[in-house]
Amino acid sequence: MPRAFDTKTAPFDRLTPDERAELVGALDIGYFRPGEKILEKGAPAEQLYVVLKGAVEEHDDDGHLIAVLGPKQIFGIRAVVHGAAGANYQASEESLVYLVPRDLLLSLIRRNPEFAVFFYTDISSKLAEVARTEKSGQGIEGVLRTRIRDARLRPPAFIEAAASIEEAEQRMSETESNSLMVRDGARLGIVTRTNLSKAAILTKLPLSTPVGECTSWALISVDENDFVFDALITMTRHNKRRLAVTRGDETIGVLEDIDILGLFAGNSQLIPGRIDRARSLDDLGVAARDIQSQVERLHRQGVKVREIAAITSDLNRQLFAKLFVMVAPTSIREAGCLFVMGSEGRGEQTVRTDQDNGLLLAHPVPEEDLARFRVEFQAALAAFGFPPCPGDIMVSNPMWSQTVDDFQDQLRRWVLTPEIESPMYLGIFYDAVAVAGDAELLARVKGRFIDLMAGETAAIAHFAKAIDQFPGPGGVISSIMATVGREEPIDLKKSGTFPIVHGIRSLAIEKGLTETSTFERIGRIAETGLFDEAFARDLAAAFGWFMELRLQSQLRAHLAGTTEGESIIRPGDLTTLDRDLMRDGLRVVKRFREIVRNHFKLGMF
Amino acid sequence: MFERVVRRIRREYDRRRLKDPHWADLFEEDPSGEVVSIDCETTGFDVKKDEIIYVSAIRVAGGRILTSSAYNAMIRPESAAMRADAIRVHQLRAVDVEAGRPMSAVLPELLEFIGGRPVVGYWIDYDVSMLDRCVGRSFGFRMPNRRIEVSELYYELKYRKAPQGTQVDLSFNAIARDLGLRQLPAHDAFNDALSAAEMYVQLTDMKARGRTIPRDRGADVATAIAH
Repeated sequence: MPRAFDTKTAPFDRLTPDERAELVGALDIGYFRPGEKILEKGAPAEQLYVVLKGAVEEHDDDGHLIAVLGPKQIFGIRAVVHGAAGANYQASEESLVYLVPRDLLLSLIRRNPEFAVFFYTDISSKLAEVARTEKSGQGIEGVLRTRIRDARLRPPAFIEAAASIEEAEQRMSETESNSLMVRDGARLGIVTRTNLSKAAILTKLPLSTPVGECTSWALISVDENDFVFDALITMTRHNKRRLAVTRGDETIGVLEDIDILGLFAGNSQLIPGRIDRARSLDDLGVAARDIQSQVERLHRQGVKVREIAAITSDLNRQLFAKLFVMVAPTSIREAGCLFVMGSEGRGEQTVRTDQDNGLLLAHPVPEEDLARFRVEFQAALAAFGFPPCPGDIMVSNPMWSQTVDDFQDQLRRWVLTPEIESPMYLGIFYDAVAVAGDAELLARVKGRFIDLMAGETAAIAHFAKAIDQFPGPGGVISSIMATVGREEPIDLKKSGTFPIVHGIRSLAIEKGLTETSTFERIGRIAETGLFDEAFARDLAAAFGWFMELRLQSQLRAHLAGTTEGESIIRPGDLTTLDRDLMRDGLRVVKRFREIVRNHFKLGMF
Repeated sequence: MFERVVRRIRREYDRRRLKDPHWADLFEEDPSGEVVSIDCETTGFDVKKDEIIYVSAIRVAGGRILTSSAYNAMIRPESAAMRADAIRVHQLRAVDVEAGRPMSAVLPELLEFIGGRPVVGYWIDYDVSMLDRCVGRSFGFRMPNRRIEVSELYYELKYRKAPQGTQVDLSFNAIARDLGLRQLPAHDAFNDALSAAEMYVQLTDMKARGRTIPRDRGADVATAIAH
């Protein structure tokens, strides 16, 4: 029984203690010499493999290296669960591999649904389950309706009243909790770390003092079926920070005030009112900062990145609209349409990285009005904390603030006589959404643009070709899988989000779609049958996953006060589960690139 | 070398005097190529006096370490003084030691488990000597199994061609480090037997492929100069 087998990493952490013991007791260890084939694609396996030491290479049919698996990484899932390995596996170093017998694994999968979900082949179900089990966040309206049993309860740790303060301290460390339930016959009390420190340091009680002497016996309980709302009221009424949670006569957990606060989402519903009421640029600036600070709060509370992005885009658009009304002179307000583009237009920006915006005018306006608007609008946004666009795709640039007729001429040149930046401009513009003024203007120009592209197969292919502007994932995937020490950092934008966004954008232009969100475009393209529903789900899930990781990394960079390297992550910093999901995600991107490349016959260019 | 000759003679002698034919299998080396990695935890290092309190044995078949069917037994020392030692040295709880079974019950099971397979270990002579005292007392022979010493396999791959004066480090940790094995908590018979098994599979494979373990050349040069 190899007790050293790590049951703390996913998915084994989801097993009960009995199931873990059963698993550990059934393990054998296989040794594989360098170059030795462990599992061939399509073959069934009698066991699941978990690398103990060494390195195992994963190859596709053509012998291309897909991944190098290191310690704690799992392979052979498909071979053991579905009877056919998804790739070829061979040892690249002297390797020891834990072997989990097939029968036991299948029995655990049947018995334990949380464990089982890890073995689903479909990445979207995997992600949905992760989101369900590892995040506790929800909106405020949800919190009020939440039952206490659904909150993140801390499991109670018990100690006898006769035990010493020292033992209590030790028990807290063992159970990683800040409080213990104290038993004294039928009486139940609670002692916190603060109580213990006070007793030992301030009151100078010896460490051998029974813990019962510093216990609070006025324990307030709530039932697990009560609402979280009730718990909050009880805490306020009794001035307690902790409550015992009971099921019948049994105490099943401790609820702390911070656990409840953690359930509340950010105050996003207060921001629109603030934008609406703003009377000066300063007022608006306060709202702008609120929008940004809630991103981190929402994330911490477990709101999914897709929803954070949706809320943030929505608020940003309201902010832009209000700013437009405040800054634009009457001539521009009457003739103009303000729009946002790029990630802002697709509704996928969370942490502000740049601003892409533009202005279309139905007819020429006085030159001095336009000049003043360009300067003032830009200055206000900069003061609100929107970094200027490095590519200068902003209303301050005359190229992006002109009349409809002139702009259409410009679009035609970008399509028919493309220069190096043209595909980028076209892509960003195709994602445009009107935020203020006459939305019809933008809709008309975008309509013309799609008509223009429809007749130009070569132009779309040229446009789509940008998906290859960053190195293909072959090297990237293998490096992410590499064992610690040999790993290379990975650029989430270049390897993950950009190929998906741009590939989907190219297909969307060809299909003449008017949706701007990548998620919506994926759904619509699946309807045309270019790829199937299952792949659409995987692609959307992978995209959401990359956005999620990117947001985490952006927030970290933001806290460190830098935007340098915000989209770079190191696989070694990820948990095993995240690394596995990343691997699945990159594989989806690779397949998608191939689909796009074949579809537009990019090999010919 | 001399020791091995003595051992072979001893084995022949024991075989002829064997009273219980049940143990005859031990004297024929198992043709399967399987080996058994063994480790004993003892009350001290005196082969004549100290006693075994825990024994683990793990079969290795081909490249597979059969941990799932390992043999583990806690043994209750005969004398009260030894039981006290076991508790002190191995930090075993008194209840655990008391819960052990007498050697007379464990030994036949262990010998059955090992059968005619060679035994593998780190400092295997020590473990076998400890066991031999009990085997001799109970059955009148000594364990005839071929012994495979992992530190010797390691020596061959790393130091056989080393220049004179090379500092030789055959410690358990040095082997584990060179083979890239994780460090398991020591003084646990199962962990030690498992580590020895892991060393065995990798070292025998490397030997079969004619691989050697590189020495730190800087150290060689340094020692050469020092001499």
